[in-house]
Amino acid sequence: MMAMAALCRRFSGVLRLAGVASSRLTHHVLQKETAKVEAFPLCALLHTSRPLKGLEEFFDDPKNWGEREVKSGDSWTVEQLRGKSSEDLHKLWYVMLKERNMLLTMEQEAKRQRVPMPSPERLEKVEKSMDRMDQVIQEREDALRLLQTGQEKERPGEWRHDFLGRVIWYTFREWPIPWFMNQKHKKKRFYYLKNVEPFNRLRLEKYLRSENRRKNRERNRQRKLLKKFPHLAAKPES
Amino acid sequence: MAKRIIYPLYQLGNPQIRVFRTNYFLTLVRPGVPQMEDTVQFRIPMEMTRLELKDYLENIYNVPVATIRTRIQYGSNRQRDHKNRRIKKPDYKVAYVQLGAGQTFQFPDLYPERPETIEPGSLEDIQKKFMEDEMQRQKDDPKRSGVPSWFGL
Repeated sequence: MMAMAALCRRFSGVLRLAGVASSRLTHHVLQKETAKVEAFPLCALLHTSRPLKGLEEFFDDPKNWGEREVKSGDSWTVEQLRGKSSEDLHKLWYVMLKERNMLLTMEQEAKRQRVPMPSPERLEKVEKSMDRMDQVIQEREDALRLLQTGQEKERPGEWRHDFLGRVIWYTFREWPIPWFMNQKHKKKRFYYLKNVEPFNRLRLEKYLRSENRRKNRERNRQRKLLKKFPHLAAKPES
Repeated sequence: MAKRIIYPLYQLGNPQIRVFRTNYFLTLVRPGVPQMEDTVQFRIPMEMTRLELKDYLENIYNVPVATIRTRIQYGSNRQRDHKNRRIKKPDYKVAYVQLGAGQTFQFPDLYPERPETIEPGSLEDIQKKFMEDEMQRQKDDPKRSGVPSWFGL
């Protein structure tokens, strides 16, 4: 570290010397440069050593040990995450991963010692943020795929009938052997025989009846509520 | 280094499948049985292997790893519910990681006892004072020396 600092100092000295010795135009530019550089401490720009924290990152800050509650911010919303670049999201993922590991460790230790964990809602917040980040990255991948290939789904597939006449979504798989040599695949039936058709009609009928019943139930519920609380009825828009 | 990669199927010569955001989460636990002082015990996901754990710790946490041993802990199936059905506790994988480079690890005391400090004038303070007052009021008469109240005139 000492050697690094010395190197930095020498480097800045060289910069300043170069600024003095060069012609007027470059002199002007370089002066600007040096002014900009010297606004920061020069050594702060050069990071060579990582923070030397190995397994301590699995535990909370020692200040928070034994506290009743630990204050924390809100989880990341989808809108906030959409504004970030993919590189930032990648970095943020690993920040949140470490946070989640830490919280899992603290939770397990609290369970073991039978004491309440301080602010357990932090774990939920991290989980939610990570789910949202997954969602945002999925959105971006979808957009890119649509632009590049026009494929709507990541994994291609199609609607097929199964042997009972039901409509199913069949996701295509990559087979290690061609399908015509694959006995297992050839045994599958993606069609139905004529004697299944009456049952298809019955299934449709059952579905329609259940839908009808659901709608009726909902309507009755609304009516009862209206009867019970007439003062809360939605006023008709005049 | 991630759960469930089934598509696209990897075949020899295809471009390597890369995982950019791992979704493995570790729990560092206090060892139940005393271990060597360079050993760290983790609970890891079932799908995770030794090699993956080594990569994970060395690249994400910068921890030198010498060896890793894993086992699967069977979750108890003995408990019964009110209908006498078995209740299964989930299984988990346990990893014993021996640190390299002569590092040692001691599990810290994460929940030390702290003396309670109640600020004067806060809600808790008022509640406490009120409760003390009530307790004092509801105490028995010391002159009766523990004789129940229904006894006597």
